[in-house]
Amino acid sequence: MTESPALSPTAPAPGLRQLFTGMLMVALSAFGGGLSAWSQRIIVEQRRWMSNEEFLTGLTVARLFPGPNQINMAVYVGTYFRGLGGALAALSGMLLVPFTLLMGVGLLYFEFHRLPELDRVLAGVVAAAAGMALSMGFKILDQYWKDPVALLLAAVTFLLMAVFHVRLVPLVLVAGPLAMAWYWPRPSHPPAPPAESR
Amino acid sequence: MPAVLIGAVSAATTCTPMRLNDLGHLLQVMGTFLGLSLFSLGGGNTLLAEYHHLSVEQYCWLRPAQFADIYALAEAAPGPSSMIVGLLGMGAGWPEGPGWALLSAYGAEIAILLPSTLLMVVACLSWNRLRDSPWRVAFERGLGPITLGILFAVGVKILQTADTNAAGVFVSLLVCVLMLRTRISPLWFMAVAGGLGAFGLINR
Repeated sequence: MTESPALSPTAPAPGLRQLFTGMLMVALSAFGGGLSAWSQRIIVEQRRWMSNEEFLTGLTVARLFPGPNQINMAVYVGTYFRGLGGALAALSGMLLVPFTLLMGVGLLYFEFHRLPELDRVLAGVVAAAAGMALSMGFKILDQYWKDPVALLLAAVTFLLMAVFHVRLVPLVLVAGPLAMAWYWPRPSHPPAPPAESR
Repeated sequence: MPAVLIGAVSAATTCTPMRLNDLGHLLQVMGTFLGLSLFSLGGGNTLLAEYHHLSVEQYCWLRPAQFADIYALAEAAPGPSSMIVGLLGMGAGWPEGPGWALLSAYGAEIAILLPSTLLMVVACLSWNRLRDSPWRVAFERGLGPITLGILFAVGVKILQTADTNAAGVFVSLLVCVLMLRTRISPLWFMAVAGGLGAFGLINR
């Protein structure tokens, strides 16, 4: 681990080709996990395209907007330097190797999944994967623990989906605006001074 | 206990696919994922239950066990786990042969990523104005709890679809706890559970 070079000047803005190869490096380094840690290491520390603050802002935007977080992060980095073209270059670099690999796995799966030996192994793997899926909700539960309204919203959403089989799109379209209205930022002092309306 | 969880799925009726030609299937796949892209809140895993509904119950691209397999493969493979959409597209195109399956896979992945990517580009370019907007604050705080509820529903759905015996359900619950309490790589859990499956301790 090198000390983070906080005062070093940042490198010149990368071109499309560099964005592609940079994100390809991230994807290759992250085999086995830790994609966001690797993108920080490569973009901020090795290539010095961005300061750490710029990178963290990117993470915030990537998590806020729809789409997979790591892919949104690539889009952020690409857009930051080269607009839409940069976004596509960064995205291609990030996805090219993993997606090609996954396509190979997929073709093998659909060709051979009827083999009893493979099906037995997959039955076990599926049980583990189901456990990973179950853990997703618990992972973010902590941050809502002290907000009863949030817990109520989450519980109602869960029941509507899991028990009443309400589909995702109508659910988000109805519950989303209601929740946004509740959490609309209010002035920090609840009894607002009446003079403000003028 | 497992019987309660599994009941809903094993009773699934046989799915009759729509009669479409090759190109029709491809357009169906791409249209489906284009429409869902902007609903991938909280990193995209919120869409898994909807993927299950569409690919298993509505369009019959996959059988339930295949959906569970594909989810596990996408989790095990390196790279963003949202690449599962490529595998769903592949399943949809498989009856027309490997060539169409690949085309359908690429089409599906492009379709799920394109709208959210374009929105992300706009968001990056206008972030300075968006950052302090009340819309941004309300969106972030309001959609968070909804995402939480959806993720729990997704977890239950995947557990139902896995449809394993009692030993398998026990392993699922154990993995869930270990995911939360330890930093062991999930690949180990899948490898060990795969071994248990090979020896017949976990089956479905």
